[in-house]
Parts: sequence; C-alpha cells; structure tokens
Amino acid sequence: MIKVKDLHKVYGKGLTAVHALKDINIEVEPGEFVAIMGRSGSGKSTLLHLLGLLDTPTSGEICIENMNISKLPEKKKVRFRLDKLGYIFQEYSLLSELTALENVYLPALSIVWQNNYKKRATEMLATVGLGERLKHYPNELSGGEQQRVAIARALINEPRILFADEPTANLDATSAQVVLELFGKLNKDLGQTIVMVTHEPDDEKYVDRVIWLKDGLVEKESVSR
Amino acid sequence: MRRIGNLRTALFLARKSIMKGNKWALVFVILALSLSFVNLNFVPAVLSGARDTLEKQLINTLLANVVIDPKDDKYYLDHAQQVVQKIGEVPGVAGVSAHLNTSAFIEYRWKEKDSPSDKGKSGTWAVIGIDPRQEAKVTAIHEHIIEGSYLDENDRDAIVLGIEIAGGDAAQTAPNLTLGGARVGDKVRLTYPNGVQREYRIKGIFRAREMLKVDHLAFVTRQEMASVLGRSIFNDRASQILVRVDETSNEKWLIQEFKDLGISGEIRSSQVYGSALSSMASSFGIISSLISGIALAVAAIVIFIVIYISVLNKRRETGILRAIGIKGEIIIYSYLVQALFYAIVGVVLGWLILHFLLQPYFVAHPLDLPVGLVSLAVEPATVQNSILSLVIAAILAGFVPVLIITRQNIIKTIWGT
Repeated sequence: MIKVKDLHKVYGKGLTAVHALKDINIEVEPGEFVAIMGRSGSGKSTLLHLLGLLDTPTSGEICIENMNISKLPEKKKVRFRLDKLGYIFQEYSLLSELTALENVYLPALSIVWQNNYKKRATEMLATVGLGERLKHYPNELSGGEQQRVAIARALINEPRILFADEPTANLDATSAQVVLELFGKLNKDLGQTIVMVTHEPDDEKYVDRVIWLKDGLVEKESVSR
Repeated sequence: MRRIGNLRTALFLARKSIMKGNKWALVFVILALSLSFVNLNFVPAVLSGARDTLEKQLINTLLANVVIDPKDDKYYLDHAQQVVQKIGEVPGVAGVSAHLNTSAFIEYRWKEKDSPSDKGKSGTWAVIGIDPRQEAKVTAIHEHIIEGSYLDENDRDAIVLGIEIAGGDAAQTAPNLTLGGARVGDKVRLTYPNGVQREYRIKGIFRAREMLKVDHLAFVTRQEMASVLGRSIFNDRASQILVRVDETSNEKWLIQEFKDLGISGEIRSSQVYGSALSSMASSFGIISSLISGIALAVAAIVIFIVIYISVLNKRRETGILRAIGIKGEIIIYSYLVQALFYAIVGVVLGWLILHFLLQPYFVAHPLDLPVGLVSLAVEPATVQNSILSLVIAAILAGFVPVLIITRQNIIKTIWGT
C-alpha cells in the first residue's frame, strides 16, 4: 500500500542544512497498523508529514497504491489528500467556529456526491463515542473528546490510510487509552490502514508493527501484537 | 460539479466565520467600511451642493436659463418689445425680461463731502433698468429683499440696491468699497455716463448671496432708465434679454426655437454663459476626486489590515484546513466572501447613514458658506463609483493576504516554523 524508496529530507542549505531523513526505505501493507517510534528529533514527524503529503521530500519516492505521489502536481496532491488520506494532529486541530458535527463533515462538503455528509458525520461521531456531542463546540469538549472528533473527521471521506501524529501526546492516560483502543477497533473491524507516530513505548501493544527511527535512519523494525 | 462543491464549502466557512467570529471585530470592520463609504460621498456631496447652489443662484438671480445678448458688433438689441413678445409666446417659456444696463457713479450722503475730490461714501456700480413685473417672472431677486420692498412698475424715483453696494453689517465687502451702510428711505445720487444726474430714494435692499455679481447690482425701472438714456430710442432697446423656462422644458430645444424665430443676437444657455461657474465646477470635481481617492486608499488599507490580522490569527486553522484536504482556492473564496460581506453591509449601512441621517440633517441645517446655504447633493454616479471602488478594494484587500498564506508550506502554516 505504501512504498517508500530512498526518501531524503533536508531542511536549510549549506552549512546550516539539517538532514532530517536519510534514505528511508519502508513499506506498509493494506490493513496494517504501524507505529513510527523514536526519540525526539529522530525524524518520525518529518516522515509522517511527507507520507501525508503535507511536505515535499528533497529526494526519493513515495508510492501509495502504486502511484508515485511525490511527483504529483500540487492540485492533484490536494485532491489525493482529500480522497485517500486522513490526518490527525498531535494538538487539538479542530476549527473553533464549527461544532463537532460541522468539523467532521467539513472535508466532505467540497465533494459534491457526498450528499449524505451530515448523516455520515453523525455516524462517525457515534462510532467514536460522541453521538451525544454533535452540537458542541471544541471549547465545550475535553481534550480526549476533541481528539476523537478529529479522528471522526479524518475518517469521513473513507480514507485508504489514516495518519496520526502523536495523537495521544496531549491527553491524560485514560483519554489516550480510549483513543488508541479506537484506532485498534477501526483497524480490526474496518481494516483501516493506520500509520501513527508516537513516542510512548506503551503504545506498542496496540499496533501490528513498529518502525524505529534514529537520526533520520530506520534503526530497526519490530513486529508487535 | 467540483466548483459547486468548492463554492458550497467556501460559503459554509465564510458564514461560520462571520457568525461565530469575534463580534467586536465584525462591528469594527463594518463600521470602518460604512464610515469610509460616507467619507467617499460626503465631501463630493458638499462640493456638488455648493455647485448646485451656485448654479441655482446664477439662474435665479443673474442669468435665468437663457441669455440673449446683442451681436458682437452691436451695443443693444433692437425691437426689444417685439422680441420679448415673440419669445413669451413660445411654449415652455415661463418669463422674459429685457434689461437696460449701464453703470453709474453712486453717492450717499454727498452733502457731507468736504470737497469735490472727497470720495465720501461713493463708488461706481452696474445699474440695470427692469420691468419689475416681468423681472419677477425671470429672476428671484424680489424674494431676496432683506429691507424695504421691491420696485413697482411706476416707480421713477426709487432704486433697489444690492447689499454689497449699500454696505453695513450684512455686507461682506470692505466698508470703504460700499456706501457704508445706506438704509431704506435714504437718498442716493446717481451720475450716469452721459452726465445725467438723478436722485433716488432707496426703496429696498436685497441680498441674493450670489457670490460673483448680483449683490453688487442696483435696479431702477426700465422707464426710468430709458428716460435717463434717451426715452425715444431706448424705450424699445435692450442690453440683454433673460428668458426663464419651465422646469420640464429643454433649454437646447428652446434656444433652437428662438433662433428659428429669427431673433437677432447671441443666444446662449446660462451654463454656457457662466464660464466662471464651469471652471469652478471643474475645480470642485478635481478636489472631490482627490479627496475620494485618499478616502478610498484609507478604506482599502483598513480592510487590508483587518483581513490580514484575521488571516494571521487563523493561520494555524488555515493550515489545518489545507491538511485535511480543503483546497487553497476554497479558503481564498471563503475570505473573499467575507470581504464582500463586510463591503456590502458597510456600504448599505453607510448609505443609510448618508440618506436617512446626514442628508435630512443638512437639508434642515444647511451649511452657511460664502456661496450661500449649501446642503448635500448626493449624486448617483458618485454613489455607484464608491460602491464599486469599495467592493473592489475589499476583494483585493481580502485576496492578497490569504493568497500569501495559502501559498506557504502547510507545516509552516500550522506550526509557524
């Protein structure tokens, strides 16, 4: 499903250049729940940004479903991101002016054939356990609830891959557990492919495989559950 | 189809941003825009009002609508009575008045002069012989008498003076250039260019507030003037004939009619005749454009700053929108819709302020300017231009900052790094 070949990312130029990723080669199979782990500065968030088309690699290839997406023009990248990818951020990333329901159906609004977007968004919120919080604004929700709304939003367009960038970093232990169990459920029940960046060793038990990064290189891979 | 989806999303985002955004910021932006709209229209409206006042004064007190002068090679129009009658019969003509113009040396309290070389209270002014009944149908000087009364047809020893000749507190001219406060009932002595000297009782003093000339005029009856100049010849001559037309009549058409009647003379509309007014109107136009240009620039900068701050404050949210797959153009559209909303509401509010607050106020309390009492004359073309200018300024001001943000790297937009 995802095939990364010789991926390289450099920030800056000349003497101040930082090589965040150095010739990364990884693969993710359909329906897999993969965690990317490593210390701070190891390059795990950079890798996720590149996989999620939020940033452009310096060199190398990213193929998703056999399509080299790193070569796509910007407009097609945006469309690809909307149709095929879901993204969950570390910090609460909901739009404060929208209710939970509106936040969830927003990505579906620009897709004209999604006429039942409100119904789908309601179902998604029910799936993440927030069926009673449809009309609540982000400031009326807890951190864990906000993150679950963000998960529902990422799922609204039925993405092929869900990317999560340290989704539990700002949550208390109980909320973090709820979110991770939700990921596990989505992966198991719906076959959702998930790539998650985390620095919590305990999260290993929820995923199929862990890719360890160190100094911009793949240090090791370990099969988990 | 995709465009419909984009538009739907843009409208949704704009609506939510307006409805759920900072209410004070919304009020401030709309107020700033409405005041900019008022500002764009107010000064041109005052200048147009002043121009209208001047135009009306010129028509009402000095030139009427159509002016007939002798040909360049003649001093007078002959067969004046016949011409007046012919013109008066043309449909659309409200009144005709034949003037006999001359100048005279006017003295007040001449008996108090120490010697013939003593200037005393005197000066030389234009004196016009009129038929008071006909003149009242053509000009409105009779409505501007501030002391005494207007001339009667049979008045022979009476004169009506403009305030700038009579002088006194109400005059704007320096006292030494007036008669220094002549009052109704007082006597003045006129020495005409042909040497004839007559004494008149001041029957009335008028103040037409026409800036250029009228308040510097004196009027006697045509009969009296003809007797001074030479009754047998001047009874049927005129220095100038003024024609007042109905409000519904077309001046150009009437001028052609007069020419077709074979009237010999230079026939011109008061607008063509009053070239000083045209140059003044043109200067007003330039001033008005300059002020409007500055007001528009200020309005555009205000909108730009407000939208730029709004975009910067929502920078992270903009990044998130892009990260979840919302196209840059949708985000741009949503800000354009917001800018358009601010502009339209601002324009409507500004128009309401202008139309229902300022205009009625200045009609009730006109500005007392040297040119006369001036109220606001809001011209549709100026309103249209300012609406168009403000909407374009709002769209540009909304477009540029959001374009900058949507061109940035998504990660940089979200995290600011």
